[in-house]
Amino acid sequence: MTHARRLTLAHLWVAFAAFAIAAVLGVWQMWARSPLPAPYLTAQAYFTSVTAHGVSMAYVLTTFMVMGFGYYVAETTLGRPLPYPRLAWLGFALGILGTLMAAATIFAGNATVLFTFYPPLTASPFFYIGLVLVVVGSWIWCGLMIVAMLDFKRVNPGTPVPLAMFATVANAVMWLWTTVGVAAELLFQVIPAAFGWNEAIDVGLSRTLFSWTLHAIVYFWLIPAYIAFYTMAPQAAGGRLYSDTMGRLTFILFLIYSLPVGMHHLFMDPQQSSAFKFLQMSFTALVAAPTLLTVFTISASMEIAGRLRGGKGYFGWIAALPWDRPMVLATGMAFFMLWFGGGGGLINMSFGMNAMVHNTSWVTAHFHLIFGGTVVIMYFAIAYAIWPTLTGRQPASLRHQRLQLWLWFIGMMVMTLPWHYLGLQGQWRRVATFNYADPVIAGWGPWVIVSFAGGIILLASALLFVWNLLEFHRDRAVVAPEHPPIYALAVHPPNRVPAALNGFALWNVLVLVLMIAAYGYPIAQFFIIDAPEAIVHRVTGGG
Amino acid sequence: MKPAELREIDRPWRIWASIIIVSILAFSVVFGFLILPIVQGRAAGLDAFTAICRAVGILPGSPAVRQPTSEAKAQPTTQVAWSTDLIRSLGQSTPAGAEVAQACVACHGERGIAADPQNPNLAGQSGVAIYKQLHDYKSGSRVHEVMNGIAQGLDGRQIIDVAAHFAASPRRDLDPTTAEVVDEDIVRLVERGDPARGLPACNSCHGFNAGGPMETPTLSHQNREYLARQLHAFRSDGRRNDIYTRMRSVAAKLTDREIDKLANFYATTLSY
Repeated sequence: MTHARRLTLAHLWVAFAAFAIAAVLGVWQMWARSPLPAPYLTAQAYFTSVTAHGVSMAYVLTTFMVMGFGYYVAETTLGRPLPYPRLAWLGFALGILGTLMAAATIFAGNATVLFTFYPPLTASPFFYIGLVLVVVGSWIWCGLMIVAMLDFKRVNPGTPVPLAMFATVANAVMWLWTTVGVAAELLFQVIPAAFGWNEAIDVGLSRTLFSWTLHAIVYFWLIPAYIAFYTMAPQAAGGRLYSDTMGRLTFILFLIYSLPVGMHHLFMDPQQSSAFKFLQMSFTALVAAPTLLTVFTISASMEIAGRLRGGKGYFGWIAALPWDRPMVLATGMAFFMLWFGGGGGLINMSFGMNAMVHNTSWVTAHFHLIFGGTVVIMYFAIAYAIWPTLTGRQPASLRHQRLQLWLWFIGMMVMTLPWHYLGLQGQWRRVATFNYADPVIAGWGPWVIVSFAGGIILLASALLFVWNLLEFHRDRAVVAPEHPPIYALAVHPPNRVPAALNGFALWNVLVLVLMIAAYGYPIAQFFIIDAPEAIVHRVTGGG
Repeated sequence: MKPAELREIDRPWRIWASIIIVSILAFSVVFGFLILPIVQGRAAGLDAFTAICRAVGILPGSPAVRQPTSEAKAQPTTQVAWSTDLIRSLGQSTPAGAEVAQACVACHGERGIAADPQNPNLAGQSGVAIYKQLHDYKSGSRVHEVMNGIAQGLDGRQIIDVAAHFAASPRRDLDPTTAEVVDEDIVRLVERGDPARGLPACNSCHGFNAGGPMETPTLSHQNREYLARQLHAFRSDGRRNDIYTRMRSVAAKLTDREIDKLANFYATTLSY
């Protein structure tokens, strides 16, 4: 096994181990919120669990998945060994150390502040330091991805960077921009406050800095799924990518419009003015562009595959697709969930409509559907696609993989649709239990139970997923083909690509312009105006 | 491909990408910073300049509505205003505090442990909580025939000193043999509350690591009679210096038995 593959395998196992633990906690949380009596339920236990669930799913699963998949893409698309493999292992070690530190503080009951960094509540400083280490580990990954691309361009002047690698580097560049906000918040505000060096904290500033990170981080998680849509799904379906240029544009648009938009998480906050909220709302609306480009391009690519397989008529090509292949099946399901999740997202980003759903279960349901649904189901598909090339083995039948994807899809729909509805009914988020004796709240009960049932299906799927991965390592697995084609060719393979679509210099300048316009004054105001500060509230120790 | 050729195909991309993105930015700025505030401001009777300044955040208020004016006088349940300096001082015990504490000995005991269980123990209590109560006695937010007079005789510095003094004193020892076996429903009230009655867990504010208001007092090692009397006072609206009526709304839902048992629980249980 090559170095990059060992790295990939190590990263992905950490990612999915965290995922499996978090899935168990998630089901218990849904149980706790339901009218059915849940075991071990105290408010302290609930918030400990939600913090662990959020950190595992949103930081550990994603970061390790993105890094592991990135190393895989770099090695397989560039056809060169990975630069500085020792540094890559250092990044991995930092990630593990950080994760263990955060986990220890959470399970010791010293971090019940959830996975969002919203002061004045602060947890143990070691919780934050652990998460900073995970981010530092990911910065090493970002550097390695950029170096790998630059090396390739130096050795192959004029040759376009393969789309999957271009997208991976877009993600790395975006992540470097993204983490500036949260890093500033943690290093200058939250960690000093958690240590007790600061007694007061400017909550408006920290919320603004966190919003800088808060939307782009979602695209950091999402981009592996989009890489699979563009480069792996058309190949798995037996077709070709409709347009390589559309792919490049999509990832560039994600880089540009994921960053100056975070203030749509602050629509209800008083510390920012309406004009800047409007500005960031307009940019948020443009995020729909890369998504719609993708829906179009991938549908067109799938149509090519369907017609090559003999599909006829307007819709006959859909039936002709090889739905028995996990990558194709997952892509179909991901797109289905994307329609609902994307539609919900348009409501969230609308300045006016947001007021209706703000801080309700709608929001939690939305990000479970779009991230847990669309994105994570593609993580599964990616794992199923690349694992045979990591272990050299694969199970004789794909039946369990298909079953697992179906369970995930059904579970996610059953869990999140009633959850959205409850949000519209006004069910608030971030609370441990509901007073079902209240006649208004009593009506929520049956819907929460339905959501809980969805959660149980999801847990079954999560466990089956881990079992499926273990199958690749077992003796009874059959030998996999040595170099299976993973990435799709484009209908018109790119042979000359303008520098703008082959690198990020121009786009970094434009991101800088937009960030100054969108966040310049909104952050500067905290230093210009004498902003009120809140007294830090440490929810650790004491007693 | 030659570098010159590459530059040639790259040029239109650079130019058009910049034009498109800057145009979108300009469009949003013109709409968000100028047109919308001016139109909304007109409807709210604001001049264009004020409306724009409000939209940008230089002036307070929304461009869409007049700033509300009200003649109503606020009547807070407490006059305490927390600051970081105040909280820091409450963590520093000084000899001056021990001196002020001499005035408390008769009712609260020499070491802050009351001989008469009708009176609260002060030793080991949170300094922030003691400060809040003394301040409320001084301002009249909390009423007590003896304490109002005593607190009015103290200046702000003395209140801080005495609160810090008692906070730093060792609290009452509990005799494990006196701890009573506690009913399950009472433990549940303490740890989980009773959602069916809209009762939060006592420990969600009074427990370790709790995220409740910082002036929340510690209940463990307190006197049973004192705790029960306070819960009854909150229930009957006799005591009303709890912000947002938190304790009054909790106590109103407790039965006599629960009040007695809860007071007993905190007075005798070692682990809290």
